[in-house]
Amino acid sequence: MSTDEFNERAERGAKAMLTRAMREPLLQFLSIALVLFVANQLIHGSSVQISTELITISRGRVNQLAESYRLLTGRLPSRAELQALVDDFADEEIAYREAIAMGLDADDTIVRRRMRQKLEFLAEEAEASEEPTDEQLAGWLAEHAADYRLPERISFRQVMASADVHGARMNEEAAALLKQLRSGADASRLGDPSMLPSTLPSTTHQGVTALFGETFADAIFAHTGEGWFGPIVTPLGAHLISVLKREPARTMELAEIRGKLRSDWIEARRRDQREQFLARLRQRYSVAVEWPEMYLAQPAASDVSKIRHPLDTIHTSGE
Amino acid sequence: MVERGAILAVSLLLASCVQPGPTDSAAARGAAAADGTAAAAATPANPLRNVYFGDLHLHTRNSFDAYVFNVRASPEDAYAYAKGQTIKHAMGFDLRLSHAPLDFLAVTDHAEYLGVVQAIDTPGTTYSKLPYARDLFSNERAGILAAFARFAESLSSGKRLPELSDLSATRSAWQETLRSAERNNEPGKFTAFIGYEFTSMPELRNLHRNVIFSSDRAPAMPYSALESQNPEDLWRWMEQRRAEGMEVLSIPHNGNGSDGTMFERTLWNGQPIDRAYAELRSRNEPLVEITQAKGQSETMPLLSPNDELAGFELMTSYIGVSKQITKFEGGYARDALKRGMEIEREIGANPYKLGFVAGSDSHNSAGSYEEDQYFSKVGALDGSPDRRGAVPPADYKSWDEFYAAGKTVPVSSTWGSAGLTGIWAEQNTRESLFAALRRKETFATTGPRIRVRLFGGYELDGVNLATDDGVRRAYENAVPMGGDLVGKPGHKPQFVVIAMRDIHSAPLQRIQMVKGWLDASGKAHEKVFDVVCSDGGKVDATTQRCPDNGATVDLNTCEIARDKGAGQLHSGWSDPEFEPGQQAFYYARVIENPTCRWSTWDAVRAGVAPNPRLPKTIQERAYTSPIWFVPTKHVD
Repeated sequence: MSTDEFNERAERGAKAMLTRAMREPLLQFLSIALVLFVANQLIHGSSVQISTELITISRGRVNQLAESYRLLTGRLPSRAELQALVDDFADEEIAYREAIAMGLDADDTIVRRRMRQKLEFLAEEAEASEEPTDEQLAGWLAEHAADYRLPERISFRQVMASADVHGARMNEEAAALLKQLRSGADASRLGDPSMLPSTLPSTTHQGVTALFGETFADAIFAHTGEGWFGPIVTPLGAHLISVLKREPARTMELAEIRGKLRSDWIEARRRDQREQFLARLRQRYSVAVEWPEMYLAQPAASDVSKIRHPLDTIHTSGE
Repeated sequence: MVERGAILAVSLLLASCVQPGPTDSAAARGAAAADGTAAAAATPANPLRNVYFGDLHLHTRNSFDAYVFNVRASPEDAYAYAKGQTIKHAMGFDLRLSHAPLDFLAVTDHAEYLGVVQAIDTPGTTYSKLPYARDLFSNERAGILAAFARFAESLSSGKRLPELSDLSATRSAWQETLRSAERNNEPGKFTAFIGYEFTSMPELRNLHRNVIFSSDRAPAMPYSALESQNPEDLWRWMEQRRAEGMEVLSIPHNGNGSDGTMFERTLWNGQPIDRAYAELRSRNEPLVEITQAKGQSETMPLLSPNDELAGFELMTSYIGVSKQITKFEGGYARDALKRGMEIEREIGANPYKLGFVAGSDSHNSAGSYEEDQYFSKVGALDGSPDRRGAVPPADYKSWDEFYAAGKTVPVSSTWGSAGLTGIWAEQNTRESLFAALRRKETFATTGPRIRVRLFGGYELDGVNLATDDGVRRAYENAVPMGGDLVGKPGHKPQFVVIAMRDIHSAPLQRIQMVKGWLDASGKAHEKVFDVVCSDGGKVDATTQRCPDNGATVDLNTCEIARDKGAGQLHSGWSDPEFEPGQQAFYYARVIENPTCRWSTWDAVRAGVAPNPRLPKTIQERAYTSPIWFVPTKHVD
């Protein structure tokens, strides 16, 4: 990526962030001074003309210092106040230059982390500000249909021969109950009552599992056919079941979940931008790791792409 | 102009970086969240009431004592976890509820320094320039603890650290709390309550409360213990909010760490409790969190010497320090219920008419509710078995060697796995659940989803709470848990109780009734009665106890006996010692068969012996809110 391209992206990203960040109350305790030079360096290169001995602070910069002051206090600074801000800026610029020249930024974890964050943030924000169209959302839904499925639901009645009541005779009791149910007996008068629902409406596999356990849920969702069947045994007893209704799993329609699709789309877009950007940067570097002896003996990780900090030496062709 | 705009934009960029991504990414975690297990929103209200399980006490990275132990999971993550999705623990492993999502959740971060530690850890903020910011996030344990101690001292004194008087981070984090609750509240499916923790701990005596709002109407800022440590001031503030249309209640917890100050007989200023106090308190504080990770606050053996099960998950030290509690009266709920009646006799109002709830108090954005899935309470602090005293540290081959070297295990070894609140309500909405909290139709469990119902009334012969008809009759002729049962001359109250096991936990062993009553001199007493036994056992009329049902646990595998215990227990009961003129309370306690404690599970998995100084097994339980018996004035 060229410098121009980067600057252009950065500017677009910055605009997007303006709207987003305006809502952010934490702004108030930011160090404005830090922001000023970092921002300027990042976006435009230095606006301060530096020779070996001369630091020129441009009119734009002075205006901008005044504007920052206005944002914080609600009024423009007086000449004297502005002079103090400008002096401070000059001191800071000098200190910053000296610190960079001395390499003080190089080993500072916080500075490094911050720079990386900002770079990634710019990358992901640059293009993520646009609103997806309906076509894009429909495409996203089609591509990720599995993520937007409503799970299968089932409604059923159950009659239980309680293990507490019948003990070892539980299954015999259940067999007798099944016979009666199949010959049309009134289910509400049969079996041992419990705090379990006798009719469970429209419930997912997870919901059935919560009440009856996974074995029961698997069995009832796998069952095909009409009428009373069973028993399915749980720690509570032997259950006889009649399925009332099945609602197959289905993918939701665009109109049902537009808001969620939109936020997912934007989030994915952001992530893609960041990853692509980092991948492009990565192409410009070769990384050689000098492994300490004790680690050389250990097996290398097999799938480097899944690991954020690669544990293996990577050689890619440099530019 | 372009330059200025861009610079401003980037300066704002830094600001928006202050709150990094998890909020958004959790939202993007797939559509599963939109569809929990509960029936759809269209489900009609059930006049016979359904049971809902949830957690009214949970912390996220916005709590100062969570962030500092590497917790980075947000309120949004907390809701994702509660709804059955997977989030990350501070130590990198995945967290997911193993069986069912929760039905409701309140994220209750500490109001004091809410969001502040994250701001300290964010370069560019003024907070990050604090001299001890570096220590707080160093690798030096001593440095971290020294920096952290400043917060503990501040909470102990109630004085805000002067260098942290800027409340912007707190304002921002509170907004995050409100937003995430709004986003995640799904009427009919999942209830997200707005809440926070009021962290009053004068001289480290625990007077913590969770403050829960009934709707989306919440104040601009929470009222914290840095405004006042005096809970009376909190209640007055709540009254003002109520006058503005914000319905709210506070729930005290960890009376066990209060050194007898949670349920005192005196006011903050030392005067005896008066009627105004009793009414102010009971109007604002109808419930108590009776069990959570830092032990149970129902009762303990010194207070209830005749209750063989009172030794369950005790925490007998101050919170956060190793100082031992010396005063247990005034710290536990059963004792408070007794005191409440004694005080009412004198002043005409009961300050301690408390229903029961439970919570996790987890600081992981995720409650650890199951013994066999235990993953810690506070992030990295107790995030692995050796860090929580369940497995000897790597330098020691055995516990014998460890203890012979004079070592001790961390206090986290005495923490339990979390509790859950059960609520009986018409439907899963804020209105319905909050109304149930108000009328105390709630119960507490130590983690398992044991269901329990208790009614007290008259004409209850033949009422079967396992049937809709029985429940209907009970509501018609009796009061549910949390209610007042008024004496009826010539009649003896009847109780009917039913409990069902959690299919994923252990069978039930018995149901007990805990009674407290006031004698003629105005002194309160207590007694525990077994009501119904599993495995066909009969309650001994003299001892009022069930026979041992012989349920065992294999400590090598944690396997439990499959043939002991009950799936469901149901019984009518009347008090064999009933006196119509005596004021009394009754609550049911449901006891599971013994199971492995989490520390034993940790040891079994690691293939080492369980810590000999920790209980190897526990009996999980559920506690219903009490029913109060109110004698009629003219007693014959």
